[in-house]
Amino acid sequence: MNIVACIKETPSTTAEKSFGPDMRLERRKEDAIPNPFDEYTIEEALRQQEKHAGSTVTILCMGPATATDTLRKALAMGGDRAVLVSDSALAGSDAIGTARVLAAALQKIGFDLALFGSAAADAYGGVVPSATAEFLGLPLLSYASKLDLSGDSTARIQRAAEIGYNEAEAPLPALVSVVKSINEPRYPSMKGIMASKKKPLDTFSLADLGLDPSSVGGAAARERAISSEKVSTQRKGEMYQGNEGAADRVVAFLIEQKVL
Amino acid sequence: MSNDVWALAEINNGKLANISLQLTTKAAELAAAFGGSAAAVALGTNTQAAAQELGACGAKTVYASEGEVYNQYLTQPHAETLATLIQQHQPRLVLWGGTNYGRDVAARVAARLGLSIEYNVGEVAVEGDGIVMTVPAFGGAQSVKMQFTGEGTKLLGARQNAFPTSRGGGTPQVEQVHAPAVPAKGAKVSGPFGTEGAEEAGHLGKAPDGHDIWMPAASRAKLEEAQVIVSGGRGLGGPQGFQQIEDLAAALGASVGASRAAVDAGWIPYAHQVGQTGKTVKPTVYIACGISGAVQHKAGMGTSSLIIAINKDKDAPIFQFCDLGIVADLNVVVPQLTAAVKRRKGQ
Repeated sequence: MNIVACIKETPSTTAEKSFGPDMRLERRKEDAIPNPFDEYTIEEALRQQEKHAGSTVTILCMGPATATDTLRKALAMGGDRAVLVSDSALAGSDAIGTARVLAAALQKIGFDLALFGSAAADAYGGVVPSATAEFLGLPLLSYASKLDLSGDSTARIQRAAEIGYNEAEAPLPALVSVVKSINEPRYPSMKGIMASKKKPLDTFSLADLGLDPSSVGGAAARERAISSEKVSTQRKGEMYQGNEGAADRVVAFLIEQKVL
Repeated sequence: MSNDVWALAEINNGKLANISLQLTTKAAELAAAFGGSAAAVALGTNTQAAAQELGACGAKTVYASEGEVYNQYLTQPHAETLATLIQQHQPRLVLWGGTNYGRDVAARVAARLGLSIEYNVGEVAVEGDGIVMTVPAFGGAQSVKMQFTGEGTKLLGARQNAFPTSRGGGTPQVEQVHAPAVPAKGAKVSGPFGTEGAEEAGHLGKAPDGHDIWMPAASRAKLEEAQVIVSGGRGLGGPQGFQQIEDLAAALGASVGASRAAVDAGWIPYAHQVGQTGKTVKPTVYIACGISGAVQHKAGMGTSSLIIAINKDKDAPIFQFCDLGIVADLNVVVPQLTAAVKRRKGQ
């Protein structure tokens, strides 16, 4: 079985972030990490590989040329090889442009199961998995909190809902997006980190994927950021110190605000 | 292209989700500003009842497509019908909600028809003959103003509870739309929805003596729709700490939230997580107990009308963005507060 884990490179949560004059995120190589949610994506790919002998795991990412470092970090967890889709024409892609590229790359790689995180920790859009499925004309099993591939022909998931879950299934090849409760990602071992440096890592350009540069990247983006500002929240900020009388103060506050 | 504004309603097994009413209310407001008409799209079962509610929120027309296929398959039939309707009627704007359903359907339609799509929108302003959307960035530390470019219908994804509901509408004209056939390569719902898994979702963890702690069903009301939320974090010290939170929530008729630290520690299921990687909530009152207030948590609750924080660390960041900050031991204050609320309510 061919398993592909699709990941995104994001700035680390603690990194200083700012927009450039073109209102695009200023990406600094030293702050780049695999999207934290995608650790669950990679982990699930590895667990399915362990369950299905002879499977291969490819880690796929669209990003700047420097994202090879991010892919090496991902490969330190495991997996057989990585593919980076990188092209200067891809800068400024929107979510639909990204999905178009991932769909083309998935087709070129060939897959039975393509795994995604439910969203990335930077923009938190969560629309790429479903849009990619649409471009491929394939089913998406989204928000999976459990995944079972029985008989190599059907994917079954437990699907996280607001309360509880339901179950869903789709024939392979299929796309699956995962939520955090699906697994506990492993830490890369020293051996894994060493091995990651020798694993094959291919880079695809738009030409390799047969995509027209005008159909992706900033050229095709249909949304535009016009300004940004720091958020300041004005709050009453009343403080009360000590255990004594604290509960009464909260009750009085709730009554003042007509909540109680 | 018309000046009409649509709302994509969400129906879960015959039950209309609240966000549908919020979206329809906003669609009516924007349609009035553009000189167009508001409509809602209701796909699923029990659509006739849904249509009346959507009309009450201002939809002049409801495109209602009744069919079990919408309950039986994820996303694909819904996207099929919505895409066809958009092609037929060319609305200016379609509002969809930031739920699992909304994201999956809108993304497919945007990909299929090549439409502009924006998500996590918290505010919409009409400026000139276009709109400006406000979207949080970097975990809510910044807000970005966005515009759509290009031709065609625009798909605007709203955060849950971004818009209030108002019922100033009337009886809508209901247009029946055929439900599509079963998709050839479909993601099929194969197991029961909801309740069976709810017990698992309500599993708080294990007490020190090894017994399982379960959360009563009543306090598992949807966080996104709760008016009052009592939330717990690392300061609770363990899964048993959530019992106090649970008791206070029960007394207040509130829902229970949690910080990522508490979820990652395994004290409470992910379904309760509030923040950038969890749920976005906007209750009237948010009571944060033992939560330090990291920027990622603030991203999920920072727009609550009132924030009360109880934390023994006077330097906790949450005290920088609360309305009432209590520097005290929550193990003392929370039980006292629960008792005081019960007394006040005569319970």
